[in-house]
Amino acid sequence: MIGLSPLRVDGREKVTGAARYGQDLKLAGMLYAKVKHAEYPHAEILKIDTARAKKIKGVAAVLTAADVPGNTAFGAVIVDNQPLAEDRVRYLGDAVAVVAAETAEIAEKAAAAIKVKYRELPAVFDPREALEPGAPEIHEGGNQINHHKTRKGDVAEGFRQADLVIERSYSTQRVDHTYIETEVVVASLDHDGTLTVEGSHQNIFSIRAAVASFLGLPLSRVRIVQAALGGSFGGKDDCMSVLSCRAGLLALKTGRPVMLSNSRESSLIESYKRHPYFLDYKVGVKRDGTLTAMEIKVVADGGAYASMTPFVTWRSVVHATGPYRVPNVKTDIYGAYTNNTYTGAFRGFGSPQITFAYESLMDEIAGELKLEPLEFRMNNILRDGEITATGQKLDHTVSVGQALQAATSAAGWEEKRRRFSEENRTRLLKRGIGLACSYRGVALGAEGVDATGAIVRIQSDGSIDLTTGLVEMGQGLKTVFSQIAAHELGVPVERVQYRRTDTSTIVDGGPTVASRSTIMGGAAVRKAAIAAREKLCAAAAGELGADPAELTAVGEKIMVASDPDRAIDFTGAVALALAAGMNLSSFAWHVSPPIWWDEEAGKGNAYFTYVYACQVAEIEVDPETGKINVLEVWAAHDVGKAINPEAVRGQICGGVATAIGYGTLEEVELVEGVTKTVNLDEYLIPTAMDVGKIHSIILENPDKYGPYGAKCIAEPTAELCAPAIANAVAHAAGKRIRDLPLNLERIVLGHKLVKKQRRAR
Amino acid sequence: MIPFNFIRPASLAEALDFLAENGERTEIIAGGTDLLVELRGIPAGKKGPKWVVDISGLPELKGIREEGEEIIVGSGSTHWEVHTSELIRETAPLLAAASATVGAAQHRNIATIGGNIMNASPAADTVPALIALEASAVLRSREGERVRPLSGIFVKPYQTDAAPGEILTAVRFRRLPAEAKSAFVKLGRRNALAISRMNAAVVLFLRDGVISEARIAPGSATPMPERFAAAEKILIGQKPSEELFRAAGAAVAAEMVDRSGRRWSTPYKEPVIAALTARALREALAG
Ligand SMILES: Cc1cc2nc3c(=O)[nH]c(=O)nc-3n(C[C@H](O)[C@H](O)[C@H](O)COP(=O)(O)OP(=O)(O)OC[C@H]3O[C@@H](n4cnc5c(N)ncnc54)[C@H](O)[C@@H]3O)c2cc1C
Repeated sequence: MIGLSPLRVDGREKVTGAARYGQDLKLAGMLYAKVKHAEYPHAEILKIDTARAKKIKGVAAVLTAADVPGNTAFGAVIVDNQPLAEDRVRYLGDAVAVVAAETAEIAEKAAAAIKVKYRELPAVFDPREALEPGAPEIHEGGNQINHHKTRKGDVAEGFRQADLVIERSYSTQRVDHTYIETEVVVASLDHDGTLTVEGSHQNIFSIRAAVASFLGLPLSRVRIVQAALGGSFGGKDDCMSVLSCRAGLLALKTGRPVMLSNSRESSLIESYKRHPYFLDYKVGVKRDGTLTAMEIKVVADGGAYASMTPFVTWRSVVHATGPYRVPNVKTDIYGAYTNNTYTGAFRGFGSPQITFAYESLMDEIAGELKLEPLEFRMNNILRDGEITATGQKLDHTVSVGQALQAATSAAGWEEKRRRFSEENRTRLLKRGIGLACSYRGVALGAEGVDATGAIVRIQSDGSIDLTTGLVEMGQGLKTVFSQIAAHELGVPVERVQYRRTDTSTIVDGGPTVASRSTIMGGAAVRKAAIAAREKLCAAAAGELGADPAELTAVGEKIMVASDPDRAIDFTGAVALALAAGMNLSSFAWHVSPPIWWDEEAGKGNAYFTYVYACQVAEIEVDPETGKINVLEVWAAHDVGKAINPEAVRGQICGGVATAIGYGTLEEVELVEGVTKTVNLDEYLIPTAMDVGKIHSIILENPDKYGPYGAKCIAEPTAELCAPAIANAVAHAAGKRIRDLPLNLERIVLGHKLVKKQRRAR
Repeated sequence: MIPFNFIRPASLAEALDFLAENGERTEIIAGGTDLLVELRGIPAGKKGPKWVVDISGLPELKGIREEGEEIIVGSGSTHWEVHTSELIRETAPLLAAASATVGAAQHRNIATIGGNIMNASPAADTVPALIALEASAVLRSREGERVRPLSGIFVKPYQTDAAPGEILTAVRFRRLPAEAKSAFVKLGRRNALAISRMNAAVVLFLRDGVISEARIAPGSATPMPERFAAAEKILIGQKPSEELFRAAGAAVAAEMVDRSGRRWSTPYKEPVIAALTARALREALAG
């Protein structure tokens, strides 16, 4: 079962349309909600006039921050995000009021009838300006959300030893998760006073914390249930808390179920995005290609609220040098408030930005030294037992070299590098091949406590209920967890039913993020299933005349491992256990191995293990029009152990497609806080015709901390292709583009086209 | 979306009668791929059309046929019907090529050539091809029919000179002789589902190895699609060559700037339309 690819357990319901998504939820007496958004990116609210809106027939409630019974703000790290703005709006996605009415049309009309008086405040839209003294202050205490650093050795000394010091600046853009399903919730009150919010949730426990605090309810009276989810990619966390708070408040005040959903436009304007980064790198290198020092400064645009900025930028600071042996490192990263749409978690979580910078830079340095990019990397990459930029000794198989080799040899790297350079002299469309590699800390790391649980319940008929606090969002978690339970209990996957994720069925096991599910949740499922199996073995031991320790569960039987003929079938063992009064429900808790981080010193064992990867992109670029065609991608990822290889390939293809969009097309354009790309006609994501052929190369170096040696796959897949494409474009056309995305205009002109704007409003 | 009344006439005559009475407050819907996007954009409370008249089922607007030297394409022909039509592929391959690039398969199955024209977007893909074919628009009202050169019906972006009571029933053009050279090239940001960033349609006639006639119609270059005479002139009487095609491309770019002025996007569009034009000419010649 481990290493096989059974059919997705949730595949049938999804392809037949049976899966119930948030928008499919219809409760009796349900009201529809609409939000009144801010009209300035930064303004003081002087007066909210809801009188006219309330008079409209069919309107059930018009609520503002004044109606909030609990804390008006929430935040996982910094408590600053107001689902209903109290005295100030800080970006155009803020809400000043929320309406519930009999129909969505009435609600929209009522929202439009709300009149708000503002006093416009000076605003700031560039995070670098926001950090300067005298910048308009967005939150009390200044615009710096956080400053993280790493320190290793002495960079001044490192630069003295260098033959060459290279300085480069890069920038990355704001992008949207663009899940097919936009955000939606239905909030309803139970007769016992429990508030249930069902919807397109990614992180049910953080959403519950926000709702309970906002409504002044105990956690035990708030229940967050996940509906079938139409994509998330890190994107359905804070913005879902916001929707849940608003809808929950309306349900509480009206006593009726309330649906609140975002149109694509609201989603693009309101929900958080991936952080734009401004990155300055200074690197010392010897003539033979040995790195001596790196000094890195990064400013991240956090937008109006902190959201995950402190954690996103922490992941960046840990990985900023890339998987290279650098004796002297000084990295500083700042998160800054601006009046732009806030930014938060997005598959990659602070890595796509820095990977773009350091992997572009590695090619640039190799170019300066007249070295081959592959050879230059091979000489500098981390190897087994070496020390990272944060001072961590790597005590597992460090496979970045293996990944580089696997991806490049599958791609025919050396031959194509040579051949394309030659052929391009006479070709109109230029071919190029580029690569990028990375290392990535698995799971939450020193962000916080990393622990999660699972419940395996064997029913009297031998069917199995599996519950965890982690969610399916398309990645295949239900299938992989069901496989693990089935494997340990020796039954087919079909016997296992993965329960819908619901905060009332299990204790808080943290969020489904940081590519932690298989390694953390999988380990918990495995422990719970083993505990359940041990009970069955104990129950069957007498009947089989063997010691429980000699028994195993295989092929729907409990049997003596050394003598398979001595066996009883699974349901028989279940009956014996129940007859003996045994409890066939087992709960297991898995805590991550110890790690540490010294924020003052900028050092630590940041993550308990790392994954390594390399992607190679072959592209064709038309220098006259700027059009890039991604022809083929080779993606080599060390996953420790592929529990479900088909799911791993699915993750690779999805991550690569996301990164191709990031690299060549996507940008949520804001001009003075106003979102210009408000629908998918302007916010372009790649189609199937734009991603080329993707070759997945799965590497397996089992990790001592992972179940069956498994580590992770979700996020590393999305952090490599943008720099691989940028390097391929440089190879093909000799153009080095240091700003994302590499769109038509950047390729032709070398810079972005900026429409002349009059000042917004 | 704002509410409206939906009318589905059984015949063209019925549709024209209805429009004659109510044209001012009516929108015509064919495939709806432009119209519905537009209607959805009207904010709640703002006035929209009172009626939407669905002409997509009208048999009089269907079909692609030849009449002597002329090809007649019913306005209700979908892009799929246009680009898979043997007749179009043979007599106007550049039009087939243009229709093939519209949206994605889902759009091409429902969106019509008539809608593409009457929407009057500067980025419409079939319009430059039709202009290079010297096509005429056939417009019908209850009072009768008028036939105008297609290039003459565009008043400004997203507006034609059609009266509220008029329906475009067909476009017609002379078939390209077998020896004519033509091409349509499109640049979009994506390989599917992409509005033209720019495009170009060209037709060349050669006599004894010398260009005797040239038609160049770039798209997304000017507010209204039209032929670029100065560039065409450069070609006439010349032997095709890379230098010549580059010169024609440069002339198109210059003419575009002359007509549209220097805008924020000109630094990009100027070199690109030159390159696309040269490419279209090259592709046409290569056949
Ligand atoms: C996602 C997407 C992608 C697209 N991609 C492309 C593309 O790549 N290239 C491109 O050129 N276009 C593209 N379009 C635009 C659109 O699909 C085309 O313009 C299409 O041909 C419109 O045809 P329709 O039948 O859907 O028109 P409709 O939406 O039905 O009508 C469009 C307009 O023309 C009027 N009209 C329609 N038929 C007649 C008639 N017979 N007489 C008088 N008036 C009429 C309508 O009143 C309306 O104003 C795209 C649209 C979408 C939504």
